[in-house]
Amino acid sequence: MSANSVQVLANAGKGESTRTLLRVIILLLIAGAAIASRLFSVIRFESIIHEFDPWFNFRATRYLVAHGFYKFWDWFDDRTWHPLGRVTGGTLYPGLMVTSGAIYHALRALTIPVDIRNICVLLAPAFSGLTAYAAYLLTNEMTPSPSAGLLAAAFMGIAPGYISRSVAGSYDNEAIAIFLLVFTFYLWIKALKQGSMLWGALCALFYGYMVASWGGYAFITCLLPLHAFVLICMGRYSTRLYVSYTTWYALGTLASMQIPFVGFLPVKTSEHMPALGIFGFLQLLAFLDYVRSAIPSRQYQTFLWLFASGTFGLGLLVLVVATSAGVIAPWSGRFYSLWDTGYAKIHIPIIASVSEHQPTAWPAFFFDLNMLIWLFPAGVYLCFQQLADEHVFIVVYALFGSYFAGVMVRLMLTLTPVVCVAAAIAISNVLDTYLDARSPNPEDHQVDDVSDGTAKKAAKSGLKSTSKPVVGVYSTVSKSIVATAMTAYLLLFVLHCTWVTSNAYSSPSVVLASRLPDGSQHIIDDYREAYQWLRQNTREDAKIMSWWDYGYQIGGMADRPTLVDNNTWNNTHIATVGKAMSSREEVSYPIMRQHEVDYVLVVFGGLLGYSGDDINKFLWMVRIAEGIWPDEVKEREFFTPRGEYKVDADATETMKNSLMYKMSYYNYQSLFPPGQAQDRVRGVRLPDVGPTLNVLDEAFTSENWIIRIYKVKDLDNLGRDHASAAAFERGHKKKKANKKRVARLLRVD
Amino acid sequence: MRSLLSVLLVVFVAVVSAISTTGDRLLVILEDVADKASYSTFLGDLESRGFKIAFETPKSESLSLFHLGERAYDHVIFFPTKSKGLGPNLTPQILLQFINAKGNILLTLSSGTVAPTSFVSLLAELDIQLPVDRTGLVVDHFSYDSASAADLHDVLLLPAPENLRRDVKNFFGAAESDDEVIAFPRGVGAALGSGELLTPILRAPRTAYSYNPKEQAEVVDDLFGAGEQLALVSAFQGRNSARFTLVGSAEMLQDKWFDAKVKAVGGKSATVQTFNRKFAKQVSGWTFQEIGVVRVNWIEHHLNEAGASNESNPAIYRIKNDVAYTISLSEWSWSSWTAFKVPANDELQLEFSMLSPLHRLHLKLDPAQSSPEAAAYTVSFKAPDQHGIFNFKVNYKRPFLTNVEEKNTVSVRHMAHDEWPRSFVISGAWPWIAGIGATVTGWVAFCGLWMYSASPDKKLAIKKTQ
Repeated sequence: MSANSVQVLANAGKGESTRTLLRVIILLLIAGAAIASRLFSVIRFESIIHEFDPWFNFRATRYLVAHGFYKFWDWFDDRTWHPLGRVTGGTLYPGLMVTSGAIYHALRALTIPVDIRNICVLLAPAFSGLTAYAAYLLTNEMTPSPSAGLLAAAFMGIAPGYISRSVAGSYDNEAIAIFLLVFTFYLWIKALKQGSMLWGALCALFYGYMVASWGGYAFITCLLPLHAFVLICMGRYSTRLYVSYTTWYALGTLASMQIPFVGFLPVKTSEHMPALGIFGFLQLLAFLDYVRSAIPSRQYQTFLWLFASGTFGLGLLVLVVATSAGVIAPWSGRFYSLWDTGYAKIHIPIIASVSEHQPTAWPAFFFDLNMLIWLFPAGVYLCFQQLADEHVFIVVYALFGSYFAGVMVRLMLTLTPVVCVAAAIAISNVLDTYLDARSPNPEDHQVDDVSDGTAKKAAKSGLKSTSKPVVGVYSTVSKSIVATAMTAYLLLFVLHCTWVTSNAYSSPSVVLASRLPDGSQHIIDDYREAYQWLRQNTREDAKIMSWWDYGYQIGGMADRPTLVDNNTWNNTHIATVGKAMSSREEVSYPIMRQHEVDYVLVVFGGLLGYSGDDINKFLWMVRIAEGIWPDEVKEREFFTPRGEYKVDADATETMKNSLMYKMSYYNYQSLFPPGQAQDRVRGVRLPDVGPTLNVLDEAFTSENWIIRIYKVKDLDNLGRDHASAAAFERGHKKKKANKKRVARLLRVD
Repeated sequence: MRSLLSVLLVVFVAVVSAISTTGDRLLVILEDVADKASYSTFLGDLESRGFKIAFETPKSESLSLFHLGERAYDHVIFFPTKSKGLGPNLTPQILLQFINAKGNILLTLSSGTVAPTSFVSLLAELDIQLPVDRTGLVVDHFSYDSASAADLHDVLLLPAPENLRRDVKNFFGAAESDDEVIAFPRGVGAALGSGELLTPILRAPRTAYSYNPKEQAEVVDDLFGAGEQLALVSAFQGRNSARFTLVGSAEMLQDKWFDAKVKAVGGKSATVQTFNRKFAKQVSGWTFQEIGVVRVNWIEHHLNEAGASNESNPAIYRIKNDVAYTISLSEWSWSSWTAFKVPANDELQLEFSMLSPLHRLHLKLDPAQSSPEAAAYTVSFKAPDQHGIFNFKVNYKRPFLTNVEEKNTVSVRHMAHDEWPRSFVISGAWPWIAGIGATVTGWVAFCGLWMYSASPDKKLAIKKTQ
């Protein structure tokens, strides 16, 4: 009976249409799993936009939906970077917003009224389903095994390395960019394999979409030429390569230049030069190919050498001259930091201050990729075995992806697809070998070997083991052991992915969750409390000064103008805010007046032990300000003579007098019995007497003291400075000038 | 329409408050309410100008400058009191709060009484210094009234004050003749700090000095001040335009000095009628916001380009737009609003600023939009080639005039994608356009040739087979 049903099932699985149906069902299930595993945060908290950048994207999308595409394209945002404003339409990657806007309008046209917020929240999970499908397509191009693609899709769907940037609510460019990345690679492989202009053009189209969506498009711009270059070096130049590459480059570059933020960068900056160089190189090769068919080979050799060296030298010369003359921009600082991880820390503190720009720690690879990370080399090895054009691509991608992922935490994202593909190839290879129910007849093999033995030996790699007769693999024991082990690994992988997603990547970071002693969940909602306060209690054009991390959130949640935000385009402006935060009140006040600041917002974690607060980020503010005003702000002065960064009684005078310190600890002592004031982040006891603030009034402090908002005082009505005005309010008598026996300043009218 | 509305508004406002622009509730604080008889002319003048006067003594229980957090009076006059302190109702903090709430104070001192500590610390906050012992006497051995102070020389005779600076309107002084004389009997001189909110109205003559008659009767060794550094009557105007005037001699406001005939030492004429009554009116009128009050009626800015919409006060402009800005100003002069005329040597300026002014322009009087009640000043200019959030800022602060500080925020955006000149308009682009045209036609021609020319090889091959 059971044998019969197995037979029936096995037979049912053999028809072509049944297989297709099964595949469709499996892919749909994978997409479902990919989406479902990203919904932890929605279920646990609510449908809310996460973190920082997504708040800007959300705000921009709302603007797009409200005002239409052309208004969005020409959007001048006067509510950020006060008073400079931001040419937002020309300085963002519009792909994400336009995608959501299109979905919104499509749903409207279908009379399904969905709130734009929900579209934004659920966009990333939806696209993760598509990414899984794209990974399936890409892997299918690599291997004839039908299972590899499905495995790759499954891996791609739940790999934490990708989930980290695509949970529900993580409405960031990466949400759609990873799908576009994988799909562009798939189209590239397709175009290369077929030498088809159509697929090349499709590849260019999706490349254009990618450029419109994410700054990481440069990864494609560099990887495709590199692949082409490696192929050429391997002597695999073909008309297929020529057709697909030139089609992609010409159309893709034109498409990318339509994005205002990119503009003329593809012909101006060094990052884009490899693509252009390979384009020119391919033209030369095509020309040489033609010449070779036209003239005798003897003369051709000489011609080739002369021509090749001459062109190369000329090209190099032009590049050097153009770069030094400033026609081509030299490599940007962000690019240098990819090669030297210490570069940014010295030269561009603003890049180094972002945690996701730090080099990756080793455990992170295992954390984000689990078992895929050790299957990955095996998959790459299998690619070496076949080494067709498309396998070269995987090898090249694997090499570069690994390097960049090692340099920057954030680039783990670009590594994940190739890891999934390579691991899927490896696993499917193992499974195909060990789950094959048939035991091949050894004699057949023997005959086969003999029949074309010489040819095979030459073709096979030099590994000895491969030429030996295969033993052991056919036994049921080994098959079942391997199959069980693999199943266990796969199950563990799913467990790990779910655990990581649920514990590490599903926190909105706008709302903090903690556990009470009895195990129940306690929500700390200080951010939204403070932003709501701002929204309800301040003028609509009240300018808020805060460190740039909170700019997007203030703009999105509180809807108030900010001085600086996460789009860190103007280092000087950020340094100005840093200077205001790290200077004495008397220095900060004119800066705040000049920038028309009404409120200052600081994040303080001392009461709750929330370590991501402004005092811990303070040194970055000092460093960035010191970069612009080295004479006025000095990092050294914030450290004690013994080189410690202290906030307690031992803190330096500069530290104690800085506006940030005063704002953080103002009135904090009043929470505690005398002498007991404690900072729970730094774990230190604070001095008994707290700082005094003269130019600011405390306006709001959230429930757990995480957010503190201060109002900037107006100029004194009587023309006094704020310190003496405040002293008068406290009842101190003004010292009589006469007693000091100093000659009075004579008044001149 | 707009000017008509503003005229209506002006008329309406003029009817509602006939005397001061800030109110008519005047509190007079005296040592003894009976003392008011000696100031009857001065107070009578104030009453006839429409003030409702209340009298209190400093120690009175009912005295309170505030009621339910609002000012209970609009103006306060302090006449000299003998007590050292002023009691809990008139602490310096309360007085300062009164100024911050736009209340006006006229404070008088006298050399006969010691100034209360409350005033001294208030004056210290305003950067006005009194002599060390909180009293003093200003004497001048060269210009005193020989009729009443032939021995002590403590009744100073001063010419009516002249213009402080060339660019400032003179509110105090004689209009017709120059030989008006102010009698300043037994007064205290104060030294002013150098803050811009302080202005001396009446300064001591070059030969005057201040000393303490009780302690320095024999020899004056430590001089508090002399000459023009001694301010006899000084004015302070806060940033909120609240006014505070310090009159060194309360006696000069008394009836007897209003009517007195004085004789300058060595003077040419015999006796002269003092100018005190008129001067008292000017000083009190200025302090209580009856003169020198400038009001902004309306501000209007618009796009000044042909074919553009004529919308008033748009929130956004584009870089390099032509923009026109107009501000209408009136000045309150005793009983009515008049057109505010900028003094001949002065300029009203408009700043178009982001962080710092990118334009600072001279606003010119526009007679077309002006009326007898309001003067309109206008300027048109081209917005700078810099996008950002800009302020139209008129910051006109002059001594004796209330502060005009008007800020209108607009955004200046960048060029939209369809506002640039088209490529065929730019002559530099013609070679490139020609290049594109050549490529397109060449490509089409090539395709046509390729498709419609028969292959010679084929023909050849066909021939061969034939």
